Amino acid sequence: MEVVLALAIGLLTASGLWLLFRPRTFQVVLGLSLLSYAVNLFIVAAGRLRLDAPPIVGKEVADPALYADPVPQALVLTAIVISFATTALLLVVLLASRGLTGTDHVDGEEDDQ
Amino acid sequence: MTGWMQHFIIAPIVLPMAVSAVMLAFNERRRALKRVLSLITMAGLVVIAALLLWQADGRLAIGDTGPAGAYLLGNWPAPFGIVLVADRLAALMLLVTSVLGFTALFYALARWDRSGPRFHVLFLLLVAGVNGAFLTGDIFNLFVFFEVLLAASYGLILHGSGSERTKASLHYITINIATSLLFLIGVAIIYAVTGTLNMADLASRIPTVPASDLMLLEAGAAILGVAFLVKSGIWPLSFWLPRTYAAAAPPVAAIFAIMTKVGIYIVLRLTSLMFDDTSGDAAGFADQWLIWAGFATMLFGTLGILATRSLTHVAGHYVLVSSGTLLAAIGLGGQALTAALLFYLVSSTLAVGALYLIIEPVERNADEEDIIAGIAEPVFDDEYTGAVVGEETEIGVVIPGTIAILGGGFIFCTLLLAGLPPLSGFIAKFAIIDALFDDAIIEPAAWILIALIILSGLATLIAMTRAGIDLLWTPGEDSPARLSVIEVAPIGVLLAACLALMVGAGPLYRYMEATAAALADRSSYIDTVRSAPRAGENPL
Amino acid sequence: MADARLALLILALPFLGSLVAAFLPARARNWASILAGAVTLGALALLFGFYRAVSNGITVRYIEPWLPSLGLDFTFRITGFSWLFALLILGIGALVVLYARYYMSPKDPVPRFFSFLLAFMGSMLGIVLSGNLLQIVFFWELTSLFSFLLIGYWHHNQSARDGARMALITTAAGGVCLLIGFLLLGRIVGSYDLDTVLLAGDLIRTHDLYLPTLILVLIGAFTKSAQFPFHFWLPHAMSAPTPVSAYLHSATMVKAGIYVLILLWPVLAGTGTWYLIVTTTGLTTLLVGAWAAIFQHDLKGLLAYSTISHLGLITLLLGLGSPLAAVAAIFHTVNHATFKASLFMAAGIIDHETGTRDLRKLSGLVHYMPVTATLAMVAAAAMAGVPLLNGFLSKEMFLAEALEAHSGTFLDWALPMLATLASMFSVFYSLRFIHQAFFGPPPTELPRTPHEAPHWMRLPVEILVLLCILVGTIPALTIGPFLDMAVQSVLGSRTPAYSLAVWHGFTLPLLMSAIALVGGVTFYRLFGGRLNAMTNPPIIGRLKGRRTFEVVLAALIDGARAAYRLVSTSRQQVQLRLLVVTAIAAGSLPILSLGYSFGTLGPTLIDPVFAVLWLLGSAAAIGAAIQAKFHRLAALAMVGVAGLSTCISFIWLSAPDLGLTQLLVEIVTLVLLLLGLRWLPQRFPEFWRDDQVPFQVRVRRGGDLMLALMGGGGVAAIAYAIMTRPAPSGISEYFMQRAYPSGGGTNVVNVILVDFRSFDTLGEITVLAIVALTVFTLLRRFRPAAESIEIPDQQKVQNAFDDAHDDNAFGDTAEHYLLVPRVIMEWLFPFILTCALYLLARGHNLPGGGFAGGVTASIAIILLYMANGTRSVEARLHVQPVRWIAAGLLCAVATGAAAWFFGYPFLTTHSSYLDLPIIGEIPIASALLFDIGVFAVVVGTTVLILIALAHQSIRTPAARRSATSSPVDSDSQERCA
Repeated sequence: MEVVLALAIGLLTASGLWLLFRPRTFQVVLGLSLLSYAVNLFIVAAGRLRLDAPPIVGKEVADPALYADPVPQALVLTAIVISFATTALLLVVLLASRGLTGTDHVDGEEDDQ
Repeated sequence: MTGWMQHFIIAPIVLPMAVSAVMLAFNERRRALKRVLSLITMAGLVVIAALLLWQADGRLAIGDTGPAGAYLLGNWPAPFGIVLVADRLAALMLLVTSVLGFTALFYALARWDRSGPRFHVLFLLLVAGVNGAFLTGDIFNLFVFFEVLLAASYGLILHGSGSERTKASLHYITINIATSLLFLIGVAIIYAVTGTLNMADLASRIPTVPASDLMLLEAGAAILGVAFLVKSGIWPLSFWLPRTYAAAAPPVAAIFAIMTKVGIYIVLRLTSLMFDDTSGDAAGFADQWLIWAGFATMLFGTLGILATRSLTHVAGHYVLVSSGTLLAAIGLGGQALTAALLFYLVSSTLAVGALYLIIEPVERNADEEDIIAGIAEPVFDDEYTGAVVGEETEIGVVIPGTIAILGGGFIFCTLLLAGLPPLSGFIAKFAIIDALFDDAIIEPAAWILIALIILSGLATLIAMTRAGIDLLWTPGEDSPARLSVIEVAPIGVLLAACLALMVGAGPLYRYMEATAAALADRSSYIDTVRSAPRAGENPL
Repeated sequence: MADARLALLILALPFLGSLVAAFLPARARNWASILAGAVTLGALALLFGFYRAVSNGITVRYIEPWLPSLGLDFTFRITGFSWLFALLILGIGALVVLYARYYMSPKDPVPRFFSFLLAFMGSMLGIVLSGNLLQIVFFWELTSLFSFLLIGYWHHNQSARDGARMALITTAAGGVCLLIGFLLLGRIVGSYDLDTVLLAGDLIRTHDLYLPTLILVLIGAFTKSAQFPFHFWLPHAMSAPTPVSAYLHSATMVKAGIYVLILLWPVLAGTGTWYLIVTTTGLTTLLVGAWAAIFQHDLKGLLAYSTISHLGLITLLLGLGSPLAAVAAIFHTVNHATFKASLFMAAGIIDHETGTRDLRKLSGLVHYMPVTATLAMVAAAAMAGVPLLNGFLSKEMFLAEALEAHSGTFLDWALPMLATLASMFSVFYSLRFIHQAFFGPPPTELPRTPHEAPHWMRLPVEILVLLCILVGTIPALTIGPFLDMAVQSVLGSRTPAYSLAVWHGFTLPLLMSAIALVGGVTFYRLFGGRLNAMTNPPIIGRLKGRRTFEVVLAALIDGARAAYRLVSTSRQQVQLRLLVVTAIAAGSLPILSLGYSFGTLGPTLIDPVFAVLWLLGSAAAIGAAIQAKFHRLAALAMVGVAGLSTCISFIWLSAPDLGLTQLLVEIVTLVLLLLGLRWLPQRFPEFWRDDQVPFQVRVRRGGDLMLALMGGGGVAAIAYAIMTRPAPSGISEYFMQRAYPSGGGTNVVNVILVDFRSFDTLGEITVLAIVALTVFTLLRRFRPAAESIEIPDQQKVQNAFDDAHDDNAFGDTAEHYLLVPRVIMEWLFPFILTCALYLLARGHNLPGGGFAGGVTASIAIILLYMANGTRSVEARLHVQPVRWIAAGLLCAVATGAAAWFFGYPFLTTHSSYLDLPIIGEIPIASALLFDIGVFAVVVGTTVLILIALAHQSIRTPAARRSATSSPVDSDSQERCA
């Protein structure tokens, strides 16, 4: 499992980075969302792998060993929300920039090539 | 009363949040109300920050919290819940922020807050975010507050819209989102290795990390460091900064002067907590990187100051210079130097703020061609031939009040930035150099830093005199534009603050030294957090 | 003796006066000058209060603690020497004030002038009264600043601006060197206190930092007192009003450098290095200045260069290092101040009355202004070193010293001749000054017909000239005591026996003066006539300080430009690459240095389904990466697939909350991006065909690919290393154990979010709120690009269809489009809302929570919008997102603050359970209230963003008309605001 997850994270990161380096705003947006998937998975991985042991405890005092680490999950939830917000913002800014500058190049002007 | 007083620690975050939430409930037509609200809030923040500074300095006992007050959110014990720490350093930063914020906000009332909706809300939330970043003692909470202040800064840069702002913000936002992802990776790695997020807890756990995990820990720390260095505008990751700040509206740019300092603050805080002498070569490693990156940044900023034509870019590159100076100084370390760099940090932040505020009115008063007039090309006339020059009227021109005020302010800014007397810039510069000369043997890095400080100062002087002479002294045809008190007062306040820094240098510097001492032994910080009192028993 | 605190007053008076003068009305010339005069005389009176003390050799000290921890205290220190200097500053200052009152034109706004002048005077006093090295630098830089303002006083003249800037940059740069030098000095001695430093002479001279210290201090002093090669700024400072020149170049500014040299003479002088540097510099300056002075056509220019040469003379004397030479230096400093000030004033009078300072135009003025002429002649004679005048005495001393052997280098035999030569030059130019200005035929081509200056304007000159004569004739009675105490205070025990007698009998020095006089006169007779024809001095005419300065400055700036372009970029792609490279480097360096290692945990066996899932996911990700440029929709879909596999893995990895939230967020983001797609430009096919992609583009893409793979590989490696390590016993156990007992919830993740770490959540919803506002603001001013304003083809077709069939009105088809799905979606609305509320309520115990609920609710609303179109929805239901956001934030903050009233910290929760019929037991934790706040903010934000985007499509017709806002637009704003 670990290998698969690690490779998945790696591939998501790689394709995200590739898009991040591209000159078109839309590519960058997609790249960033791929990257955020990768990072979210990474954070979960940082809490180690636990299969089918959701952190839903019983009403009596729980034995931590039986559950997945809840802290990374909480962090990821926050991260998901924030990255959603920023992605939305970036999208709108790129629309505005495209409207004002007439191009969807990240520099607001076509590079000469 | 003390029962309430102890909640002061969280006020710098919650107060602006609450007020902006209230302001959201009113629509854009209630501008006057919003102005009053936000001004009162910022004024209140100044007072609160001052109180916190006092109590951090042990002059005033707020509640049952010790000299460095820690605040347990949700009343959860230290390493588990989120804790806020208002020690000397944090309190100092809070005060600087609120003073800068108050002046910038006041200035904005001249007209800038009308050039787009929701200015006050965004402004207050930015301040809340910055304050949160200074106060929090939890690295993930730090991330959250970074996002708060970044989001607000996105909004504020775009305030007033326009093509230039949009273009600049596109870069700014993209780069910062990428940086935030780095931040998350770093935090995740550190959590994976240490199993904690609380800075103090982290500091005490690091020595116990098994050798086999050290590589992960250091990798995480390094990645985290990159994120912070981007915030603090280090070369070569800061090309966006001058352009973005120049595109922003003056009051916005002024408050942004604190944002790079947030990055600096975190670097200072975490290096002092995570790496100290016990943590071996990893620390030395980080220091070397800080030193050389700082030098590169200073050099780059200096080049920029000389190269650019517009004052806003001079200011932007000066921000880089000061960041570079601070980072290099942090890298060089030493208690005396830390005290000096703190003094420098305060002084340069206020100075840049004042500069950003004064640029716009100055350029408003100048003719168009002056602004683009840039450099004095080499004048190929001969040695002095005064009498032959002839046709010069030897009757002084009456300087209009406006220009006189602006000129005075401008000169003061120049002196501050170039580190010339009589303002605090001089003390700051001399304090740093003095601290560098303190050691038994002056190492080469120290010499380089001194040289760079001097070079950057001269470059600033050259650039500023050039601009000042072009803008203020070269006789223009048109009568000077009117200048409102609302614009002058904040600049005056900031410069007065720098003057106060100079006059009251004695006690202030003692405070800085106490702060440096507190940073030097991390146990004090850890104890503060550990021994933070819980209110009664947690209610069920 | 007077109270030491009065020293403070001496210093404060000029600054206060300057402040007052600054606020006088521009026309109040009399008030301003009276004020300035009064201030100066007052300070002078105070100074005399200290005379008794200092004449008894007592050092008056007064310390005001300022920055003790850095050894910087505000220290006043008056010794005989500094007293004498202060006397010069104030005395000549008073005369200059009087002179300026009559010199400056009535139309001139003189209050500003006097304000600067007083401030400058104060700074000079600050230098000489300081008892702390750093304090000296402090006032030193202030003199640079105020001289800048004074030189640039007539800043409407180009020359004034340039001169001022040059003086400022040169002297300020020197000041920085001085600062470093003094800091080093302080480090050597261990204190910045002057008296301490002055006692540590041997320590300093033998310290291995002596050389850098010396050089830095000297650079500071030389720039200030215009020593070669830093002399170039001084002549250009002549574009200042003449009173300023008279002040700056006689008693003050340039003498500041000399002051420091004399002050530190006891500790710095006496070494070979000192002798070599200072003597040669002084000698060169002496000769260059004198030579250049000969060829000036401007009266002030001539005086300026003679000033330079006399400063060189003093420096030379100091360089010699013998006590007698030091005495001569101090003496000549005073003499030079007196005669040079008077000469400048005289030149000013001439300029004032004739309208020109050009020696080639002037002539025969003696007939028009006899008094001025006489005065000028006496002063010039003093400058030339004619007997019975003060200049003669110090010149004698100088020549005598020149004859002494000091070093055993070639300088010993060269000095006497060169000294004589220099004196010859000074005779020469003094003669030229007098002869060309006052004698010869009556002047022609003068702008004004000259006449005698008003009496009050002449008075200062008269006083100064009188002094020259008195000192020259009865030195022992006049300057004697002052000089003696000054010398005593500097040299202390090393004070030599010297005599101020006018007549020393027939000595070698006397002979040399005689030679100088005779030679000067003869040379003038021979060559004087040709000078007017020459434009610039031979030999040294080539070294053009000003041009060099400008060229260097410009070169500096151009160089900076070039270098800056080299090391900076404005391209986002480059910046991002740099960021990633740095991050990869930062992450991999520790791993490389410490060695990468797997953990101890054995791998859990691979579930094939999971593997397949990620085969899909990865393929989708890569596909998206490839397609994103040309097939946006496809790429978007593939990103969605990658996202879905992420959701599934979350659930797989026992994080149901994440799975749920990610899924919902996916949906919203997808809608968002889809709405955005419409505004992106048509993508044209690849610029290059595959076979002919330019090389550098291939390289760039290859590099990007490499970077991407390295980054991905690095992250994967770290992730694997982490996952194979046992988890450290961290903070999470605590959350597990206390979640239900203290947090009152069984879903630990949610309890963490709304209780343990609810502060994070508060920040998170703040971010949402901010982003929503920003988006709304942006889209309000949104200007779609021209080609995307066109309504989509599909609608065109539909409208065309409507036009074709007259039985249905315009837009009907679009109206009836997808009728069935629309109805279904409308029915779905209440159902989804219920789900949202359920998620919200159960969040504390089961996956869900405020955020999930909020997103669900907003999805419901979005569906409604999609179903019926913006207008018809808003006709029926009034969503006011900003209100929602405000309410949510307030609710969250208030819940947190409520704890205060129970004496608990912010966000302390209280939880209990409420047993309702049917629904069953639901948690009424105060955390729930908080979660409701979250819910509201999320709904508000999501809806606001999506509505704002959706509104663009109904704005576009308006956008075609006026790029800004339209009725629809504005009312939509009202709804959102």
